[in-house]
Amino acid sequence: MLMKKECVAMLLAGGQGTRLGALTQEVAKPAVPFGGKYKIIDFTLSNTINSGIDTIGVLTQYQPFELNQYIGNGQPWDLDRLNGGAFVLPPYQKAKSGEWYKGTANAIYQNIDFIDRYNPQYVLILSGDHIYKMDYSKMLEYHKERDAACTIAVFDVPIEQASRFGLMNTREDNEIYEFEEKPKHPKSTNASMGIYIFTWEKLKAHLIKDEETLGSSNDFGKNIIPNMLGAGEKMYAYNFSGYWKDVGTISSLWEANMDLLDSQSGINMNERDWKIYARNTAEPPHFIGGDAVVKHSIVTEGCNIDGYIENSVIFTGVDIKKGAVVKDSIIMPNTVVEAGAVISHAVVGWDAVIASGAMVGERQTAPKAGEWDIAVVGPRVKIEANTRVAPGAMIGAK
Amino acid sequence: MNNKMMSVLFASGNESKLNELTIHRTTASLPFGGRYRLIDFTLSNLVNSGVSRIGIIARSNYSSLMDHIRMGRDWDLNRKNSGIAVFPPFVLNTAREVYKGKIEAIYTILEYIRRSPEDYVVIANCNIAANIDFGAVMKTHLKTGADVTVLCSKGAVTSSRRMVVSKDKDSKINDLYFVETPSTEEKLIGLNTYLLSKDLLINHIENAHARGLVDFEKDILFKEVALGKLFAYEVSGYAAIVDDVKTYYNESMKLLNFDVREQLFGGSGKIYTKVKDSIPTVYEDKGLVRNSLIADGCVINGTVENSILFRNVEVKEGAVIKDSIIMEGGVIMENSTLAYAITDKQVTIRENRQISGFSTYPIVIVKNKVV
Repeated sequence: MLMKKECVAMLLAGGQGTRLGALTQEVAKPAVPFGGKYKIIDFTLSNTINSGIDTIGVLTQYQPFELNQYIGNGQPWDLDRLNGGAFVLPPYQKAKSGEWYKGTANAIYQNIDFIDRYNPQYVLILSGDHIYKMDYSKMLEYHKERDAACTIAVFDVPIEQASRFGLMNTREDNEIYEFEEKPKHPKSTNASMGIYIFTWEKLKAHLIKDEETLGSSNDFGKNIIPNMLGAGEKMYAYNFSGYWKDVGTISSLWEANMDLLDSQSGINMNERDWKIYARNTAEPPHFIGGDAVVKHSIVTEGCNIDGYIENSVIFTGVDIKKGAVVKDSIIMPNTVVEAGAVISHAVVGWDAVIASGAMVGERQTAPKAGEWDIAVVGPRVKIEANTRVAPGAMIGAK
Repeated sequence: MNNKMMSVLFASGNESKLNELTIHRTTASLPFGGRYRLIDFTLSNLVNSGVSRIGIIARSNYSSLMDHIRMGRDWDLNRKNSGIAVFPPFVLNTAREVYKGKIEAIYTILEYIRRSPEDYVVIANCNIAANIDFGAVMKTHLKTGADVTVLCSKGAVTSSRRMVVSKDKDSKINDLYFVETPSTEEKLIGLNTYLLSKDLLINHIENAHARGLVDFEKDILFKEVALGKLFAYEVSGYAAIVDDVKTYYNESMKLLNFDVREQLFGGSGKIYTKVKDSIPTVYEDKGLVRNSLIADGCVINGTVENSILFRNVEVKEGAVIKDSIIMEGGVIMENSTLAYAITDKQVTIRENRQISGFSTYPIVIVKNKVV
């Protein structure tokens, strides 16, 4: 028996993220680059260690190689521990059976033995596809004070958007009496953030029961939460009020990157006591050439910039040649933008080439609310010289 | 013979000529190139060449070095059976004082060298910034049958006490000497980096120490020239030797040249350094940056030209930085102007200050000072 841990975190990182199209064809959503030098999963991993939780299982399934290699022994997040640390947990062959993770709850069910090795009182369930900073230890305190079976982090969303979320309907003391998945007529604005703390003993019992139920989707939202409510377990909502963004769509991914340029957006990356860690790439400082103009943008290590950049996020090792223009865009690692190319209102994946004179995207003068007008160039795609990628187009999706 | 290399590095050297820049640190831990310390280049070259047992001899002021190196993890040197060993100075029973030269210093760790399983040793000072493949050096060493291979690079004698290497067409060294007066004439300059077999090193050090000799170059190498067993290995590409404030400034500024950066960083041999998890650099609306090398974590809202900014530097609105080097954590406040300046770590230049050195004599602002 290993040394007991009070709380073990389980990070669900197996989702495909189909709505990100070309960006998630080769990698799982949590492995998508974000914010210049990070990947989406860095936020959750960093939150976990910053909250004092040092044992974390990362459940991978869809395109796991990138994530497996990235997480490695967990050292960049200080998660290389003698007892505990980071563990990548793909589905595996067991004595009686071996199968893919069928749903979020089944993924945890299949790893009951992993969790039991640490004999924890609590289990924190996380998903690796949100951008936010959160101290889970405060949520754990909240859970303990109420002696709850389950605590669910909720985020206050505008009522007109509430029907897009899973909603926790609560009593005055925040006890949950009902869970509604994307209701037409929302009764509350408490959107579930997909962050749960369970008292392990209770969750384990419900996971085993759910697994025995024929026809169950083995999903936390659809099955476990409603079942626990039905069984009369004490379940509470935990209000979170900081910056939080789901980056499941191209437009939200683009917006979240742009939020880093806006000091009013609420995401402050530069907090000394809550750093976001990432695996380092050993690149030299970036170079701004004699013909470059860089305005209101983020640039990181390994870049060579000699073009015009405005209102953009430029990732590690990007090369922007003289005479190229990049506006309102995010350019992912090691992409080359050749002379005279123009990129506007676009997301360009990693290792891509935008050849000279090509034009990618363009801001529509008055996009309708919710309209998807961001051009996307997939990873490793080459946009030939003097060609045009229309606003809203996606190049490189199979 | 196993043809494997270990290394012994000297963290100190030339501190007296580096003046204010080494008041608080060793030459090895002098910040260079926006996010590195000088020792990073030698350590990375060794690691990239498969050398994983590295002993570092420190003499004084080595707390910044220890803080930088830690367990060597950032260079993948936190190995079970090899890795980094830092040797602080300790007094020899006989001398009752800290070692005087390289010979005595190596003598104090002879047991460490003897016990190591590698058959060859790379000896180096840590004041070189270059990208060197020691595997290729080893091959040449075996091919020439040299006793000692002396690494060198073409360049002018830009500061005093540079070692000049003279060789024949087969790279056999026929003269070695120190130059006291700088000149612009191009010569082959020694990089204070040598490869030799462990047995020979132990033999030389024991003999020299027994005779009270201290200077590795003068007392051992120079005497070997006549035996015809010294060979030169010329490092192609950029190789900076940093041994005084002027060379520090000039070599730093060369990094603004694309070809120099390609030679130093562009190949497969990556240069590693301590990871600090700084955020990417933020360019605000009033930022205007030209021809400059900028590390992560900076917030720029002023003008920066022909300069190097290390990590986490803040340039406030209206500030103008030209031809300068701003080390980590520097804050240049509103409407201040800097030219030909080197500000050490954590220096703050308050509002409306004007500081200027000259291209041949850059002004140095000492660590932690507020101007």
